[in-house]
Parts: sequence; C-alpha cells; structure tokens
Amino acid sequence: MTDQNVQIIDTHQRMKKMRKGAGPVSYVILILYAAIIILPFLIVISTSFKTWQEASSTVFHLFPSEGFDASGYSEVFTYKANQDAAMPTLIKSFLNTLLYIIPPTVLGLFTSAIAGYAFAKLRFRAKNFMYTALLATMMIPGIICLAPTFSIYDMIGWVDTPYPLMIPGMFGAAACVFFMRQFYMGIPDSLVEAAKIDGAGYFSIFFRIMVPLSVPALMAQGVLGFVGGYNDYFNPLIYLQSSDLYNLQVALRVFAGVFRMRPNVVMAGTLSALVPTLILYFVAQNYFVEGIVTSGIKQ
Amino acid sequence: MNSKTNENVATNVNAPLGKKRMAKANRREAVAGTLMASVPLIGFVIFGLIPLILALRMAFFKITGYEIFSGKNVGFENFAGVFEDPTFWKALWNTVRLGVSTIISQVFALLIAYLLSKNPKGKKAFRIIYFVPYVCSVVAITLMWKYMFNTNYGIINIVLGRTGDNAIDWMGDSAYFSWAVIIMSVWSGMGYGIILYTAAFTNVNKSMLEAAKIDGANEFVTFFKVILPSISSTSFYLLIMGVIGALQSFAVTNVLAPAGGPNNDGVTVVFWLYRRVIEYDNMLGIASAGAWVLAMIIMVITAAQFLISKKWVSYD
Repeated sequence: MTDQNVQIIDTHQRMKKMRKGAGPVSYVILILYAAIIILPFLIVISTSFKTWQEASSTVFHLFPSEGFDASGYSEVFTYKANQDAAMPTLIKSFLNTLLYIIPPTVLGLFTSAIAGYAFAKLRFRAKNFMYTALLATMMIPGIICLAPTFSIYDMIGWVDTPYPLMIPGMFGAAACVFFMRQFYMGIPDSLVEAAKIDGAGYFSIFFRIMVPLSVPALMAQGVLGFVGGYNDYFNPLIYLQSSDLYNLQVALRVFAGVFRMRPNVVMAGTLSALVPTLILYFVAQNYFVEGIVTSGIKQ
Repeated sequence: MNSKTNENVATNVNAPLGKKRMAKANRREAVAGTLMASVPLIGFVIFGLIPLILALRMAFFKITGYEIFSGKNVGFENFAGVFEDPTFWKALWNTVRLGVSTIISQVFALLIAYLLSKNPKGKKAFRIIYFVPYVCSVVAITLMWKYMFNTNYGIINIVLGRTGDNAIDWMGDSAYFSWAVIIMSVWSGMGYGIILYTAAFTNVNKSMLEAAKIDGANEFVTFFKVILPSISSTSFYLLIMGVIGALQSFAVTNVLAPAGGPNNDGVTVVFWLYRRVIEYDNMLGIASAGAWVLAMIIMVITAAQFLISKKWVSYD
C-alpha cells in the first residue's frame, strides 16, 4: 500500500514536471483577451460619467476630462416617457421585469423538477412514451409558432398583457426536465426506499428528500432561467405594446432612442440595466458555469 | 427449523394480502408519476402542439388580419410567395453570412480554453472575465457596441484614425455593417464556447496525453492528434448550436438597425418573420410558410447533429 502510494506520488510529480505549464505567450494572449472583454465596459462606465459634449467628441479620454457629470444617471432614474406615470420609466420597467420573470422561473423550476423526479424514480405505464414525447418537443424550433400563437393571444385578449411572457413558462421546460431527471437518476434508490418504508408518499419524498438534495442543481437552472428572462427582448417586444408594461430591455431600447443625441445618458442606462445581472453573476458564478456545462453536454 | 416453518406459514398466509397491497401501491405510484410528469406535457400541448397544427394550416391558407380560423385554401401559393420574395432570400443569405461569426468565435474559444487548460495563474479570474458577455443582455451589449461603432465619435473609428471626412459609416455602409455585427457577435459569443471547451479539456484522457509525451510528440502534434479528436463532439455541438442560434438571431440587428440596416443587410429570417406577423397586414399565411421553411432547415440540422454525434462520441 505504501509502495503504491509512493508510486502514485512519483507519477504525479513526473506528470507535473512533464506537463508544460502556461508560458509567457499564453499569458500575453490570455491577458490581451481579458482586456478586450473588459475595455468596452470601461468605456461604458467612463462615458456614462461624461458630459454629453465630451461623450460625443472625437477625442477620447478614459477619465472624463471635463469633470464628472452624473446627469446621465439622473435621467436614468427620473425620465418619464409618460408625464402622468407614477414611476420613472426604467424603474417601472425593471419592476415589471421582476414581476414577469420570478413567478414563471420559480413555478417552472418546480414543475420541471417534479416531472424530472417522476421520470427518474417512479414507475408508470406511459413513462417512456411521455419522456420521448417531451424530448421530441425540444427538436421543434419555437419560432414556427410565432404567427399562430400571436393570433391566438390576440383573440383571447392576451396581447398587451404580460400573460404570454408568464403563463407558458409555468408549465416547465423540456430541457430543465431532462437536466433534473439526470440529476435525480444519480440519487440512490435506497434513500427513496427507506422513506417509502417509513410511509412517506411520493410528493413528500420529493419535497423532503429530493428537493433538499438538488438545491445546487435547482439553483443552476434557476439563475440561468432568471437571466434568460431578464435579458429577453423578442417576446416582450412582440407582446407588450403600452409603454408602462415594457420590460427593462424594451424600455432600454426606447430610452436609447429618445436620448440618442446624448451618449452619456444612453451609456448610463445601459450600465444600470447590466448591473443586476452582473451582481447575480459574480455572486452565483459557479451555478452559471455548472448550469451551462451540464445543459450543454446533455444533447 | 421450527422458526423457519413458522415464517413460511406466515408468508403464505400473508401472500394474497401482500399482493393486493403491492398492486395498490403500484397503482398509487403510477397515478403519482403520471400526474407529476404530465404538467410539462400539458404545457407543450397548449402552447406548442396546438399552435404547431395551426401553423401548418395557416401555411396553406390566405388569411386576413389575425383571423386564423377563416380564410381560403390556396395550396402552395404561400410557399411560392416566400420563394418569390427577394427579401426572404436576402434574409436567409444575411443569416448565413452572420453565421460566419459562429465559426470564428469557436476557433478563438478553442484557443483560449486550451491556454486555460494549462492551468495558468489566475485561471479562475480569467474564466470569470471571459464569461461576462454571456450573461449580459443582447440589448445592452448592442447599445454599447453601437456607441463604439459610431461614425463621428466612436472609439473604433478614433483608434483606426478614421474620423472626420474619411470616417467609416459602420451602421450605414453595406461593406462594413456585417463586419460590425460579426465583431460584436464573436466578442459576445466566445464565453459559451470557452466554458464548454474547458469542460471538454478536463475529460481528455490523461494517459493518452502522457503516452504522447513519452513518444516525444511536441505540443503541436499532441494538440492536433490527441486533444482535438477527443473533443470533436464538443466542437460539433458548438457548431450546430451556433448555426441554429444564428438562424434564429434577431435582437442584435434589430437594435443596431431597426429599419433593417443598409441594403437590408440586418434583416435576418426572424426579422423578416417579425415584420410579416407584427408590422405588415394580411401576411400571416406567407409568414407561416416562411416559418416552416426556417423550421425545416433547423430540424434537418438538429437531426444531423443527433445522428452524427451518436457516431462520433466515444465514451471512454
């Protein structure tokens, strides 16, 4: 045993030595690329604090040379597209966004997870058929339903309401079901059997055993779902027509049009819209990576 | 001996009851399972299957306004309308051209992920930075680049020394517009590839790498003969996903050029569809036919991906 250990340590060290580390060229490339990613953000930040004259001049200074000007941000937090509106447009649209995406994200996660649990652990006759049908739905590009879906929503009075953005997501998503099923397959049956002997029903097994065990997986799907909804532009653009219903992305684009002659204001709006996702990303960084990798590898 | 007989008797007595109980338990399990699994499928039937069937009908009907249940059957007239529409072909061509960014960003992502796999100092920090564009909204990123591409005061023209009279009109000149979109897309699309390639690199067989080293293979040969083949499934997945994503792109060009861009260069297929569903009147039939053409292209690519990756992926 000791012999083996020594051998393992030996090969390990040899491998370490043999493995070429990152040379100077690698560092140059990695740092250069990091700079290419960071620079545009620095330009946005810097521009957002400039006067509009400096923001639209042909001389570029990273640090505002005509003094800091926060008027861009005061427009972001006070501009009202509609004089009678109770709240500034971008604030209202941010709250709208939260209202539109949190319920479907949470509920959709729940319905997907419970379906994933059923596909992973329960026996029922239609299981294979239902699972295949669900996977098949992932092959159909959603864009094909645009015209009929819009027409139906128009008929039932859902156009210019947030329902088209909220209700469908509450039923869960095939990709999320698939992901959660994979996760629950990895949980040993013995845990489930033990709970069954204790007389626990299937729903209580799900809530008491499966949910606590799958918190990281649920978080990974949750943050991805949240950011996807927060950043959505196409659906809100189609279904929301009155400006007080706009979500943040649509409102931001309209805002950028209104202030197109004052780039400092546009950049202040852009940055303000990015901050919530950036904070979430830096806090929950590992969940993002895990969510991407596992859902990327699945197919 | 005595106890064993007792046990046997006991089981025998209980057997019918046990079976009944088992059957009941199985039924309960079946009911619970079906209930739990059915919600996403019900959602699909309502929000996917019904519209899909309607989309099929609409593609063959002449429809007025949004009255999709009425109209006259016109056979393949809508499809003819799609194929005779030069803007549809233009949109398809634009989409393909913009899809070039997929390949460029994939090659760069591979390079960066490879360098990261050498475990440089600060690997984690690099990864966090590289992934930032992926979580940012397309609208915000597009506004950011639109400012940098501005003809009169954009930093890109300033850096290139093209200000004043010989300034490049990135948003208005057909020769440059696509390049602006490609540069933007590569910048924002690389993070995803880097994450997936990084994961793929950790799965490359270590003993094969060592064998290559012992055989005296240099880094170049190792990369092309050992590493690249063993991450082929990731490359293929990224390529297909990129092409499908490009085929469905809309937001970037819509924010950059709401009117379609110079020479309609910014009109993607989804942009084309959007106009026919939302902006133009009485075009739903043609829109549906166009959507089917797009969907067929996507489904063929998806199916090809599914079949080919089954052949390629090696689970060792």
